[in-house]
Amino acid sequence: MEESPADLASSEFSSLYAENSRAIYYLALRFLSDPQKAEDATHDVFLKAFRKLDQFRGEASLRTWLYRIAINHCQNLRQGWHDRHVFSNADDAVWENAAARTDSPLRVLEIKELGQRIQKTLDGLPDEYRLLLLLVADEELSYEQVGALVGQSPDAVRGKLHRARKAFAALFEKTA
Amino acid sequence: MKQQTKLSEEQQQQQHAAEQQTQQQAAREFANAEELLRYDAAHTTVPPGIAQRLQKSTGGATAPKTSWWKRLFGGTNP
Repeated sequence: MEESPADLASSEFSSLYAENSRAIYYLALRFLSDPQKAEDATHDVFLKAFRKLDQFRGEASLRTWLYRIAINHCQNLRQGWHDRHVFSNADDAVWENAAARTDSPLRVLEIKELGQRIQKTLDGLPDEYRLLLLLVADEELSYEQVGALVGQSPDAVRGKLHRARKAFAALFEKTA
Repeated sequence: MKQQTKLSEEQQQQQHAAEQQTQQQAAREFANAEELLRYDAAHTTVPPGIAQRLQKSTGGATAPKTSWWKRLFGGTNP
């Protein structure tokens, strides 16, 4: 779906918010790991979008454009504590050797605490994996779009996704 | 007779609980991380306060021809 700038009159902001607020809030919530910060971030992302709607060139989908604003915003917020959680490439070996299998289903016995388990699992992942999984989980995004958002080729996205799934499954099992 | 009835009720309750547990366990299996995250996202509610704050933040802006929050909330000011 491509929108031309002319289609993006500010009166359309309501539908922009209605269609995308859940996706942006969810990304912020699980990426920042803090409901209040996620609420603030979502507000700030849409405010930026509101002010920059005339700069949207229609080269990407609106969802992708919003994600780009959101990712930049959330990464800036995390910058202070990001340095304390830097994972080098060597850490990939840790996940490669993880016991979990990517083809095994994830079993959940308590839905009511599922959000906490997911958050705990994501918190234990490198930022790169966390972001990748959150973006790929959005069915509206193709691998090409995810790749453009994380600065990787679609093939690289597929490769990293395999490791990210494995890492997630290994950590998720430990949160049970 | 009363004892039999009570026993029967208990058995029914146990059976019902067992069936429910089986159904719930079957429903709580996800093929991969993305599927789990998708489920989680679908059950995440966006705080209504965000839209209210956006209304205030964009209130002084020149752009909107129509109040977007009025369209979103059907003309009611939060």
